[in-house]
Amino acid sequence: MADFYRIAVGRHATLLVCLLLAPAWAQDAAAQETRAELIAAAQAEKATRLAPYTPGRAEAAFTRWSTKLLGGGSGFYPYFDSVYSGGGFTLGAGYRHFLGDRTTWFTQGLYSISSYKLIETGLSSPGHLNGRAGYQILAGWRDATQVGFYGLGMDTDPDDRANFRFNETYAGAEAVFRPGGVAVLRGAFFYDDYDTKQGEGSYPSIEEIYVEPGEAPGLGADPTFLHTTAAAGIDWRPNSMISFRPSAGYARRGGLYEVEYHNWSDRDDVYSFDMLEVDLVQHLPVLRETWVLSLHGRVQTVLGDDDLVPYFLMPSLGSGSTLRAYPSWRFRDRHSMLLQGEWRWIASRLALDLAIFYDTGKVTSERDDLDFDGLESNWGFGVRFHGPAATPLRVELAKGGEGWNLVFSGSAAF
Amino acid sequence: MRVTTRFRRAATGLLAGALAATVATSVLSGAGRKFYDDDPITREPETQDASGAEPWEIDLIWDLAYNLFATPRMHLAGDRAKNINTIDEVPDSSWFTNRILARPLTAEEVARGPLEGTGPKPGTWTVVRAKEAGFAPGFTMQDADGVTWFVSFDGKGHPEAATSAILVANKLFWAIGYWQAENYLVTIRPEALVIGDTAKWDPPSGRRRAMHRGDLESVLARAHRSADGSYRAVAARGIPGKILGGFRYQGTRPDDPNDIVPHEDRRELRALRVFGAWTNLVDMKAGNTLDSVITEGGKGIVRHYLQDVGSTFGTGANGPHDWDEGWEYLYKGDLIWKRALSLGLVPREPWQTADYQEFDAIGRFEGDAFVPSGWRPRVPTAAFLRARPDDDFWAARRVMAFTDDQIRAAVKTGQYSDPAAEQYLADVLIKRRDKIGREYFLAINPLVDFALDGTALTFENAAVAARVAEPPAGGYSAEWFTFDNTTGSTNPIGEITDGAGPRVEVPRGLPTATGAYVKVQVRAVTPAHDAWAKPVDAYFRRVATGWTLVGLERLP
Repeated sequence: MADFYRIAVGRHATLLVCLLLAPAWAQDAAAQETRAELIAAAQAEKATRLAPYTPGRAEAAFTRWSTKLLGGGSGFYPYFDSVYSGGGFTLGAGYRHFLGDRTTWFTQGLYSISSYKLIETGLSSPGHLNGRAGYQILAGWRDATQVGFYGLGMDTDPDDRANFRFNETYAGAEAVFRPGGVAVLRGAFFYDDYDTKQGEGSYPSIEEIYVEPGEAPGLGADPTFLHTTAAAGIDWRPNSMISFRPSAGYARRGGLYEVEYHNWSDRDDVYSFDMLEVDLVQHLPVLRETWVLSLHGRVQTVLGDDDLVPYFLMPSLGSGSTLRAYPSWRFRDRHSMLLQGEWRWIASRLALDLAIFYDTGKVTSERDDLDFDGLESNWGFGVRFHGPAATPLRVELAKGGEGWNLVFSGSAAF
Repeated sequence: MRVTTRFRRAATGLLAGALAATVATSVLSGAGRKFYDDDPITREPETQDASGAEPWEIDLIWDLAYNLFATPRMHLAGDRAKNINTIDEVPDSSWFTNRILARPLTAEEVARGPLEGTGPKPGTWTVVRAKEAGFAPGFTMQDADGVTWFVSFDGKGHPEAATSAILVANKLFWAIGYWQAENYLVTIRPEALVIGDTAKWDPPSGRRRAMHRGDLESVLARAHRSADGSYRAVAARGIPGKILGGFRYQGTRPDDPNDIVPHEDRRELRALRVFGAWTNLVDMKAGNTLDSVITEGGKGIVRHYLQDVGSTFGTGANGPHDWDEGWEYLYKGDLIWKRALSLGLVPREPWQTADYQEFDAIGRFEGDAFVPSGWRPRVPTAAFLRARPDDDFWAARRVMAFTDDQIRAAVKTGQYSDPAAEQYLADVLIKRRDKIGREYFLAINPLVDFALDGTALTFENAAVAARVAEPPAGGYSAEWFTFDNTTGSTNPIGEITDGAGPRVEVPRGLPTATGAYVKVQVRAVTPAHDAWAKPVDAYFRRVATGWTLVGLERLP
């Protein structure tokens, strides 16, 4: 350290001399007869060493990167998302090219620690009709290498986990329209081709365990669907900074009440089915958002009792946003019900919330069994780093009937 | 090697900073002699040509992050403000013009504020540019005379909120002394606007292009639309001169030769802690300020505007302030830890229970739970953190100088459609004003307006005059000294004299020669206010006509 000091002082001896002489300079200046002359002398001295403002290294780097990441325009961007639930951490990047003011052509990809892969390309065009409408045209390919399957229903054993792999190739379009106020209409139409394979990872492949008929409906099938979605809802979860902008990524008040209808039409008409999903979210601020009681209810139900639903498209519970103490896809069946409650406290309205939560739910083969008997539950504690409209990091520790689970997520739980 | 380089840069910065601070202190305090012939100056000289100053851009997020995380570690209160004159006042300058308290202002003058004309000339209004900064919807236009105006609207769903706040705060900050733009309330009908041939638009693609009608509609879609299809807006006259961008609340502009006092040590910027508390000016970012090079006396001078004072009272550009705005910084580490570890149970804060009478046009603004020293902007500035009790007192005197009528006249310019809202805002401002007086007049010796004749020293107790305190039970005492202006040495003169009221007899032996100096240390004697026992040092110079006040130190 002493060497560094010597070098630094040696290189800047002139400056040091100036510093030591400063009182003498001031005394000379004090020879001025008036205060005005004294100030004028100091200003004249500064005039000899004027320079444009030069940002420091930290400011320059910060500005450069924030412009790159937030500034818009065509070019590469980091891509943070999940390939498929259970795939683990991902690394991703994309490239976008603006075709108009807001319309972009993009290509993006993700790779996860479990070798899940996703590559997509498409056209995104938000912000039409003064921000009330947008659409996206999309084609992509996904490879999920080790998706869990534990059998159907609630009475399955975690030790009975098997894995399957699938490739999904899809192409289609989706659109959203806010006709005014808080109403939201969404629609999508996709061609969806599934190709299932032997599972990878440390668990047996699905066909090694689930061999009996009905244990894994559609096992071995590779259906191709035309998948149509239509949704209507009320969404009044405001952005915490710009109150009239809706915000699904982070909200402390408001609610979402949405009904979503899916039609999966198998090209071979074997696995065609209809499904209805009802999603209710309510954020109730307590003591001026010191705390927030957040509630979520979701029901997914296959509408046709005789419809054959492939095991990998069945409603499920278990993941970082449903039953959080349970691994992804822990429970599957034709119908599901999920109830979640969180008591959040806002440590920093800019960046940090904490929460204790309770999740409970069940899957059933019969819709009539969607009641409050035989629910599987968990509780836990979470830390959420958020912005005004997004939750880029959520870390949670949950405890359920099968033990503890640590959740890392890049989005709000609901 | 990298460590060496880093250390060298740190050492350079340290030495340069020390040099600058030493020079600034020496110049304005007058090393060598304490008082000059022209002390106290009433105008800060700006002698050099600053026309070479160039525009800069202060990154919004950098400014926010720096002030949230770095500034609180680097700046603590301690040093005396460095742009004050020898009698503890702020001279007029390109930053500040003494108005209220310095001269009589009528309520009509306050209501008129910086306005010199009548607003945009009716006729064809041409949109020439989209608004580039901030969240509020707006654009730049030219009126029928070709005068440039910056137009901003009320946020969607919040009629009158942003526009009224701008209009009222504009008048108050002008009366205090800050450079303000001229702001006029206008009604805009979309069909009356045309888009200029040169108007540009910056879409998310980053490819600037000609502005279209649809772009204007997208701006208006974010603004509040009145029932008759028109839009209420504020038109701010374009600031004259070469626009340089905002100013920072710390350091100096390296390209302005007249800017020799670090901004964090400018009293009028420190005083925003009090003016901000009064009006709840929570958004003190550099982006809400503006520097402009104007020509004065044949040379360029950088004038510093508090350009956007609209995030005041209880509302921001797009809706009411968050509940804790005005009470807490956006980030404060220890507070976050306490909340995180206590399930949010501690600390209990007044904003959680303060009784707001919520008018949509005013938002969350109240005076009962308000504690002036507990007020916080969203993000602290270096000047805010450096403020001391003498800076606060200086500011509090100006706040207290506003009469009820002046406040009501300023509030009336907000043109609230609900008389109850107008009444409420004025009442709260009056309540907050009085609280500021009660707090800051009691926190320091509040004696002002010293005068010395051959027989007595007279002065005023600002706290007593403002009726926020009783006269000191033990009266006042004065300790007298001769003062050598060259060496700074003092010699006692006679006995300590005292008086029951703000008049103290002079002792025998007061010098009579022209050019002689005396120093008087005056205390208020009362067990009720400890701070009043700390003396105010007043300095007088003997001139041909008698004694003249040349120095005042409330907190050396």
